[in-house]
Amino acid sequence: MANGGEPLRMKPRTISGGALNEAALPAGIAVPGPLARSEAPLTEAIRRLRKSTTAVIGAVIVVVLVLVALFADVLAPMSPIVSDQNTTFARPSLDHPLGTDQLGRDMLSRVIHGSRVSLVVGVSSVVLALFVGVPLGLIAGYVGGRIDSVVMRLMDLILAFPVYLLAIIIMIMFTPTAGLLGTIKVVGAIAIVRIPIYARLVRGSVLSIKEKEFIEACRALGARDPMIIRRHVLPNCLAPIIVTTTLGIATAIIVEATLSFLGLGTQPPTPSWGWDLKANISFIQANAWLTLYPGLAIFVTVLGFNLFGDGLRDALDPRLK
Amino acid sequence: MRVYILKRLIQIVPTVLMITLVVFLMMQSIPGDPVVALLGDAYNQEDAEKIRQAYGLDRPILVQYVIWLEKLVQGDWGASILTGRPVLQDVLVRLPVTLELIALSMAIALVIAIPAGIIGALRQNTWPDYTATSVAMIGVSIPEFFVGVLLLLAFSIGLNGVLPSSGWVYLPGTCPNMVCGVSFWGNMQHVLMPAVALGIGRAAILTRLLRASMLEVIRTEYVTTARAKGLAERPVVLKHALKNALIPTVTVMGLQVGFLIGGAIVVETLFAMPGLGTFGIDAIIARDYQQVQGFALITALAFVIINLLVDLTYTFLDPRIRYA
Repeated sequence: MANGGEPLRMKPRTISGGALNEAALPAGIAVPGPLARSEAPLTEAIRRLRKSTTAVIGAVIVVVLVLVALFADVLAPMSPIVSDQNTTFARPSLDHPLGTDQLGRDMLSRVIHGSRVSLVVGVSSVVLALFVGVPLGLIAGYVGGRIDSVVMRLMDLILAFPVYLLAIIIMIMFTPTAGLLGTIKVVGAIAIVRIPIYARLVRGSVLSIKEKEFIEACRALGARDPMIIRRHVLPNCLAPIIVTTTLGIATAIIVEATLSFLGLGTQPPTPSWGWDLKANISFIQANAWLTLYPGLAIFVTVLGFNLFGDGLRDALDPRLK
Repeated sequence: MRVYILKRLIQIVPTVLMITLVVFLMMQSIPGDPVVALLGDAYNQEDAEKIRQAYGLDRPILVQYVIWLEKLVQGDWGASILTGRPVLQDVLVRLPVTLELIALSMAIALVIAIPAGIIGALRQNTWPDYTATSVAMIGVSIPEFFVGVLLLLAFSIGLNGVLPSSGWVYLPGTCPNMVCGVSFWGNMQHVLMPAVALGIGRAAILTRLLRASMLEVIRTEYVTTARAKGLAERPVVLKHALKNALIPTVTVMGLQVGFLIGGAIVVETLFAMPGLGTFGIDAIIARDYQQVQGFALITALAFVIINLLVDLTYTFLDPRIRYA
């Protein structure tokens, strides 16, 4: 990654970096950094990814879901929130392919629109956690000392709580609401509980990378710390970060659905799968399908991200296969 | 060993203190006034002041925290603002139900995961392995409450309702008050579906993990050596490989406990069980500060203690850790 078309002064660094990296690996240091060695492993990873059936299935599911969420307004036959008192609890029919709920709202439209909250929360909470957690981990690991202990104690504090409990407590503080603001609150709550995962992961990788001789070589050449972190430390941590992010989206979607199920997620009228499932449980006896659709939607979405994440991990870190 | 346990116990103290502080501060920042909720339509300034004084709600926050912590240590967890009952008593009554659910679901997870993980690893890339890994993939992708709903549909609504959809029957000797159903079989009937709903996901995660670490371990040289010296396959797998493969699994189990506790909240709500989860959710809806604090505190404490137990299990599996 670091050697294409660099000026001459960079050369010794990359050459020694590559060579030492190879030499150091058998010692059992966990640097899953095929990305950083050269371009070939990256191309190879992509090739492996395309060959993996699970990854391809996962990717297809994810792409379809993203399209559904983007074009929900076009795809949904009706409004997900307008109720029709004349057609409550309608069985599946041509008019309502998935039937209607207790307010006569079209279930198909609700399931289609529900994908928005799930995907938006799943992706943005993880991205937010990534943007806070990764720098924290980089700084803690690279600088060390007092900053390291302060940051890591703070992370331990978050980890001292069971994930759901902390997310619940944060949502109580935020007061769940509907619409975009309500969704942003859920994103914030889930992001906070996911930050330590990245901070710890990155810190661990940084601790082993910063002792490598190619980093010392960078320093000897007079490179500044921010530059070393950006150009040499971060790329070496990328593989586990990418895998954790994909699998993390799956977890975040489950946490979102769970919060909604407990009544602490995005509030109605915004359609959300977890809330729909909860609301329809009262009618499960006579209208079982109403609970099945939102549940299946959550399941397929999470499955898509998990399959893709698994394939990605196998592709980036073949030692695990 | 005793020194190690003592050391770990002392390490817990600052964690617990921080937990109490965070729980307290978070609950303080909740919008909404419990006094208004308590008095309802009968709200007037004078009564509100009296109640504020009675509960210490008029003091500075840090003073309130220290008072609260002092009482906490003495076993006074405050009284519910709405019912007037002592919170600690209410919480302790509910705890066994949740612990039973968690323990049973963990047991279900292990009973499924250990054989599935071993078979997956030993028969890698055969159809038993593919079955195990595919089922595990489905298991990690399905939220607890949806498993619960599917079980409800199958066993409470279908199949002539062989299993009850809600409520609770206590184990003999655990009935918290004068009137409650007590029977072992009744209890099992009520706990089975919630425990399976909660256990399936954990079983899937542990299966995937155990399979991966077994795959790593059976390729090590000491396993080859064990086979070469003529040991039967069974002791090689169970004594040499499994014990070492279990170490990362136990770590993850500790982390999973956090999800189990959270999952218990959801599953209890779904099956209307009288556990901590329903207690907590009811308290949140009623905005009963004292009860929510008690709930958050006992849940976080249970998490810390279970994590400690997991750490101690470690030293049994891997004696080297003791000296670290």
